[in-house]
Amino acid sequence: MIARLAWRSIWRNRRRTLITVFSIGFGLACTVFFIAIGEGVYAQLIDQVVRLQAGHITMEHPSYRDAPAVDLWIKVPESLRSRIERLPQVERTKLIIMGQGIARSGSGDVSATLMGIEPSVELDTSPLVRHIVAGRYLNEDDGPWVVIGSELAKRLKLKVGKKMVLTTNDAAGNLVDVLCRVRGIFETGSVEIDGYFIQAPIDFARRVFGLPEEGATQLGVILRVPEAQESVLHEVRLMVAEQDIAVLPWQEVIPEIASYIKLDKGSNWIFQAILIFLILFTIFNTILMSVLEREREFAVLLALGTKPVQLRLQILMESAYVGLIGCTLGLLVGGLAAWAAQVWGIDLRSLLEEGFTISGFAVSAKMHARVTAGLLLGTAGLVFGATLILSLIPMHRASRLSIVDQLR
Amino acid sequence: MATIVNLQEVTKDYGQGQALTHALRGVNLIIEAGEFTAMAGPSGSGKSTLLNIIGGLDRPTSGRVLVDGREIKDLSNTELGLLRRDRLGFIFQSYNLIPVLTALENAEYVLMLQGVPTAERRARVREVLAEVGLEGLEDRYPRQLSGGQQQRVAIARAIVSEPALVLADEPTANVDSKTGKALLDLMHRLNEEKGATFFFSTHEEAVMKRARRLLQLEDGIIRNNGATADIRNTE
Repeated sequence: MIARLAWRSIWRNRRRTLITVFSIGFGLACTVFFIAIGEGVYAQLIDQVVRLQAGHITMEHPSYRDAPAVDLWIKVPESLRSRIERLPQVERTKLIIMGQGIARSGSGDVSATLMGIEPSVELDTSPLVRHIVAGRYLNEDDGPWVVIGSELAKRLKLKVGKKMVLTTNDAAGNLVDVLCRVRGIFETGSVEIDGYFIQAPIDFARRVFGLPEEGATQLGVILRVPEAQESVLHEVRLMVAEQDIAVLPWQEVIPEIASYIKLDKGSNWIFQAILIFLILFTIFNTILMSVLEREREFAVLLALGTKPVQLRLQILMESAYVGLIGCTLGLLVGGLAAWAAQVWGIDLRSLLEEGFTISGFAVSAKMHARVTAGLLLGTAGLVFGATLILSLIPMHRASRLSIVDQLR
Repeated sequence: MATIVNLQEVTKDYGQGQALTHALRGVNLIIEAGEFTAMAGPSGSGKSTLLNIIGGLDRPTSGRVLVDGREIKDLSNTELGLLRRDRLGFIFQSYNLIPVLTALENAEYVLMLQGVPTAERRARVREVLAEVGLEGLEDRYPRQLSGGQQQRVAIARAIVSEPALVLADEPTANVDSKTGKALLDLMHRLNEEKGATFFFSTHEEAVMKRARRLLQLEDGIIRNNGATADIRNTE
């Protein structure tokens, strides 16, 4: 009967209850939606970055992080790649040689990063392939052909098929000049990538940097689901336990992105927390008002022999009902909106034609949300839990009423 | 007859210093099982205070209060709550029904608190509601009932658990005289047929006349205490 009494009590002031329920629903829906959008953008950013660079998990020389240079290369036997790729969570592995140099043409020179890649792997995994705006992407037989960014092409006045010279140091420290031709030009929208990034087939890069077959500065592991990172990291570390190879998560390889996400997530949560606080204030006000209005009635219940704990339970149940209805509404609206944004995306390309960049990495202006059960249950649980906690003060007040004073 | 209430030199003070008010000044009272006792007195004479103390809703400043053989001052708030739930019934002046519960649910509330199984308590409540003349109105909410009908629900709520004592604070004050008489008839009948002990306050002549025993309270002191007819003859 206490449950029935609680349920009917919340509908005494239908308008107030509905306003509270809609406040909870609206706030939770906004929270779920915006966090899902944020998570989607982070996921998109991470996916682009790890696919463009050295994977969710990177294997490299233990000293490479301190002073990245081609002389700190590792030998990656095919057998090791096969073992890693046999892990069910792994989508692909990719070999990379990263080196610094100067790109020159008849029109000038620009310092650049030369990235030796396996074209067949990149064609399947790299976002750069989708951003080719002139010529085509590389293939395995391309030899001394490269793809360069549109900004770099503009500065060096290069077009597809034109020659450029790369000057760099090989692994032995010798100065090397190599001639190559532009196979394609990409445009990602990121000044850093479009202006300073050159990709070349890995065999050509090995020749440039003087590395042997199976030599690379990094072996990247791309995962099917990013959540598998910890377990794969552990397994890969076991595989190379005997070798002088560091196995790092992407967060250590690209710390600026990890920091950005952490910071942005933090500020996003602060914003959401303010929103939730305002909602909780409304809920608290409703519960308190509802209790204050019924003090005489509570006194009657106490006079009839209701135990204070039963009275507290009734108020708790009233809060729980309001919280549950509000959270269900919020999850339905916010969850459905976020799910729609996950499936179809939110297209801001009319506003941001070229997308936007985060820490030098381009992110598409078509944003896809990322909804997880954890997000839905976590935020709803937080609001619902807070609703119950907020009812503690009204509960305490009601159970300590002076019966005589109220009935006078 | 068993003694239900035994008050010995009970006092109750409110406030302190110059604002100190003596609501009760050494009240001695015994109520036996089966009595139908009215308590009369002007406003501020201490009627409600006395009812509150007997009902375990308030504690005396001094003196002994024994209800159903239990000393009130020795009981914790929880024990007082249990005493009220299991041994006392209350009828309030302004009915004080729970607006979101039907007549049947209001009347069964105390039985629910006592843990009486649903089927049994429903049967008992329907029986009592029929006794108080509310058959067919069980599913109505208080707002759908007249004042007299609401007070009948309150009476049903007070007697359904067959308490040792039913305390009523001016039970007919908020209804017209015809309804008041009907309510009094009902309480009288319940007293005679079911043996329910009633102790109620009133300031209405008609109500006083119906009581077998009458107390007259004035300035916190019982001035007259005896058979109604005797007291009224004295006056």
